[in-house]
Amino acid sequence: MHALIDAWAAVNAFMASGGPVLFLIAGLTFFMWTLIFERIFYFNKGLKSDVQGAVDLWEGRGERNSWGSHQIRYAMISRVSERIQDNMDMIQACVALAPLFGLLGTVWGMINVFDVLAITGGGDAKQMASGVSMATIPTMAGMVAALSGVFANTYLTRKAERETQLLEDHLTMDH
Amino acid sequence: MKTSIAKHILVAAAAGLISFSAVAQEKATSLDDLLKMVRQSKIAESQEHKQREAEFRRQKANQQALLNRAKNIRTAEENRSAELEKRYQEQEAAVDQKRQQLDERLGSLRELFGHMSSTAADLRASIDSSLVSAQYSGRTEFIDGLLAKMNTATKLPTIAEIERLWFEIQRETVESGKVVKFNTTVIKPNGEQTQQEIVRVGNFNLVSNGKYLEMNDAYKVAELIRQPDAKFQKMAENLQVSTAGFSAFGIDPTGPTGGSYLKAMINSPDLIERWHQGKIVGYIITAVGAFAMLLAIFRLVVLFGVGAKVNAQLRSATPNTNNPLGRVLAVAEENKGVDGETLELKMEEAVLKERPAIESGLNLLKIIAMVAPLLGLLGTVTGMIITFQAITIFGAGDPRAMAGGISSALITTVLGLCVAIPTVLMHTIVNGRAKRILHILEEQSAGIVAENAERK
Repeated sequence: MHALIDAWAAVNAFMASGGPVLFLIAGLTFFMWTLIFERIFYFNKGLKSDVQGAVDLWEGRGERNSWGSHQIRYAMISRVSERIQDNMDMIQACVALAPLFGLLGTVWGMINVFDVLAITGGGDAKQMASGVSMATIPTMAGMVAALSGVFANTYLTRKAERETQLLEDHLTMDH
Repeated sequence: MKTSIAKHILVAAAAGLISFSAVAQEKATSLDDLLKMVRQSKIAESQEHKQREAEFRRQKANQQALLNRAKNIRTAEENRSAELEKRYQEQEAAVDQKRQQLDERLGSLRELFGHMSSTAADLRASIDSSLVSAQYSGRTEFIDGLLAKMNTATKLPTIAEIERLWFEIQRETVESGKVVKFNTTVIKPNGEQTQQEIVRVGNFNLVSNGKYLEMNDAYKVAELIRQPDAKFQKMAENLQVSTAGFSAFGIDPTGPTGGSYLKAMINSPDLIERWHQGKIVGYIITAVGAFAMLLAIFRLVVLFGVGAKVNAQLRSATPNTNNPLGRVLAVAEENKGVDGETLELKMEEAVLKERPAIESGLNLLKIIAMVAPLLGLLGTVTGMIITFQAITIFGAGDPRAMAGGISSALITTVLGLCVAIPTVLMHTIVNGRAKRILHILEEQSAGIVAENAERK
């Protein structure tokens, strides 16, 4: 319990020294990872039934060689791949946005530094320190968020490609 | 113009030269007049000289008598002078004696007065910036009077005054450790004066009704033009109504030395002023951002409508031409008899026609998302140019001179990012919508046609 309170205090201190932009980055990271986990859960659970449904429908058809059948097969693959690709764009956008948020925090911190400079005349480096930490911490946080997202995004993109490929292989044209 | 100035100068110079003569009192209106006047005054002067000479000759006889009289007066004055000098020396000796007597009697008191005088001066300085002065007036007048008295050699402070000095020091110490409420006149930012209850937190802050106050040079209490965050104002309000226990409160640590932090706050800009610091580039970025948002919302609404119609079309069997999918299916309907390859080509053509309407605005959004940070960079560079111009003019010694350019530089960067970030998000959302509809058109329309044909 004590350790938990200490950790909470540490997080609070970190957020306070990072400034308001850090909350935006935290929100963005949370949103991004929610989407990533949603995808992971989908690939592990929902996808299987979607693929099975498509395969069953395809296997249940009388003939699978005519032009019409081919078009129906494409449509089926397209529908499942649409599900597979759901939210993937948003994850990518979040990964791209994280460093931008970091930059925003940096500039915000610099504004604070120059405010202090304008008030004190720059005599006291200690008073500028809060602005400097407000400038550097969000950059770091933005980078960490982007990096974590990049790995997850790469994994998800490859997984999605492979699953689409597998689906195409399952829907065989000749029996 | 030039000649008239020269004339004026000449007139002034000439007037200066002849000002002793009566003629000069008349005003010369032109250079010729002046010349005439100078000539006349010469004549008048030579007449005066002649008169004086005659007078002198007449009085020559009396000279000896006058001389004798003057000599008598001189002797009398010399005697008086010697007498006064003697008296002065006697009195000086007496003064010396008295002074010595005073020194003897003062003894160690002299040292004490020295300490007292420096203590009083210290107290004067601390009272000057102390917020306690807002509550107790008349303290500075007393100490000023005491200091003036001690600086003269002839006056000594009375016991009552010494005791009051001690009392004031004690009071300052005790009061700076108290949180008290009292009524006084407060000057509002609009100049209006009201009588209200204020809370003094030791020597650190004055607050009233959740507003932070400052004490000006005349020991008058005035409301700060710009207040701290609402969080701190709420704390101040809570402090005023609380009667017991503890109450969180934000204080200005520089309070005892004049409260420079709170005073500096008046100069720090708020969000709107910061936005204006971005200057023209900032306004352009804002306009571009607003346009991007409006465009994105408009496209989103349009695509929602189209998406809903496409969904309805997916459920119905007959093609409806109010939506892209319906129009593509209608092409298939018209060409029922033709073979698969031809039908596919016809449908592809129909899809190609629908594409621009669905994708319109998307590229613009993407460009804005990319251009906004670049505009921010442009503002940064122009701000830096202003900064360096300030350095050229004022030198690099004063950071305040450079602050304007730097804040403009940074604000545009912030604005650029603030526009780019939501635009990227909106582009992703709008693009997702458009893509879904296009997928249905491109990859599924032929399948839908085939499915419909099989169902019949």
